[in-house]
Amino acid sequence: MQTPLTTTVPVLRLPRGPDGLSRGFAPDGRRAPLKPVVPEIPESQESRESQEQRARATLRERYLRSLLAMVGRQVSFTLHEGVHVTAHFGATDLDVANFYVSQLQTPIGVQAEALLRCSDIISYTFKP
Amino acid sequence: MAMRQTPLTCSGHTRPVVDLAFSGITPYGYFLISACKDGKPMLRQGDTGDWIGTFLGHKGAVWGATLNKDATKAATAAADFTAKVWDAVSGDELMTLAHKHIVKTVDFTQDSNYLLTGGQDKLLRIYDLNKPEADPKEISGHTSGIKKALWCSEDKQILSADDKTVRLWDHATMTEVKSLNFNMSVSSMEYIPEGEILVITYGRSIAFHSAVSLDPIKSFEAPATINSASLHPEKEFLVAGGEDFKLYKYDYNSGEELESYKGHFGPIHCVRFSPDGELYASGSEDGTLRLWQTVVGKTYGLWKCVLPEDSGELAKPKISFPETAEEELEEIASENSDSIYSSTPEVKA
Repeated sequence: MQTPLTTTVPVLRLPRGPDGLSRGFAPDGRRAPLKPVVPEIPESQESRESQEQRARATLRERYLRSLLAMVGRQVSFTLHEGVHVTAHFGATDLDVANFYVSQLQTPIGVQAEALLRCSDIISYTFKP
Repeated sequence: MAMRQTPLTCSGHTRPVVDLAFSGITPYGYFLISACKDGKPMLRQGDTGDWIGTFLGHKGAVWGATLNKDATKAATAAADFTAKVWDAVSGDELMTLAHKHIVKTVDFTQDSNYLLTGGQDKLLRIYDLNKPEADPKEISGHTSGIKKALWCSEDKQILSADDKTVRLWDHATMTEVKSLNFNMSVSSMEYIPEGEILVITYGRSIAFHSAVSLDPIKSFEAPATINSASLHPEKEFLVAGGEDFKLYKYDYNSGEELESYKGHFGPIHCVRFSPDGELYASGSEDGTLRLWQTVVGKTYGLWKCVLPEDSGELAKPKISFPETAEEELEEIASENSDSIYSSTPEVKA
């Protein structure tokens, strides 16, 4: 029986299974409270560096979650020279150097799809 | 070039998977709970199938499992004559609700304030989760064990299925509004709030009814006895699985069979679309859950589409990891990359 030659969809990896040791629900899993959990090590012992590291990680995570929350929403951007534009937020690239937006309302018309350079953006705001 | 579906197998259960449910879409994505005869329901990340935790506590087969909309609570129905409510973030048991017989089905209201249960004692029970000590309200009327009970019409009504009937009840008055009779055993029921559609499977039939009036909309016949079916959120497709171990995908509008997939090693007991419609999950007698793409070849979750034209960004160095079939990866790498790479470097993920 001749079947057409096809490939199977590639996968990054297989789903992770139970670890066989615990019941799971890792305290540092995806849904851990965003405020950092009180550490076991007393603060005096923990180096300033790792404190800072944790703070940075928390702030970064919060920022990335804010980007996720923005997807598909109407966002108002304040650009240089007092220019304000609004658009529907699509995505950013890995370094958050560009914002991919659609339906960009500009003073000279509506752009269906556009890339906003983050270096051009002073601030942006949206309602979740 | 057509791509073949790569189902993602979620292992971990040791006995048949008899029920599964997705949560709504939360800021953390969506989640999946599976009910298993091994008594240990599991919570998984919905888009990847990654295991998050196992709810430990039941002393018998778990027949039904559900998550509330924001996946903060889970409820399970078991053969140990109890339904349990769990904290789905910590995995802790919050409540044990004693029944007089095997409990088969559980469902939260939209606001998670009430839990509906049903089982072999033929009674529907409504528990106020803010007052767990109080007695539940009971609705009687079924003449055989209740297999599935669901809130509908914004929790103002209740749909319940026993062996041969599907009944609609008014929540406020606790009385029966309408019922449907079947001459074959009803195997499953799904409620779609947008459009108020009820999906019922019995024998080889997959039937669609209005959830408000119970009037029939349409029905399809499958090649084999179907145990469960699910309608896509955008109502373009439906998927169904049953006794022949295969999953069938139909066009909802035309009824045309679009695809069928082999993969499970036992009858399929439950099948559900994810809340975003991008994948569907099936649970089987073979003890596994499998995740299937709605659009085969799309990049989503763990499925990563490799386009032959793209060389730079999507260049796939051969990532080796223990469990995957090396041959499968090799097949794809050679298809796409012969002219692009001089050699395939081994990169440990």
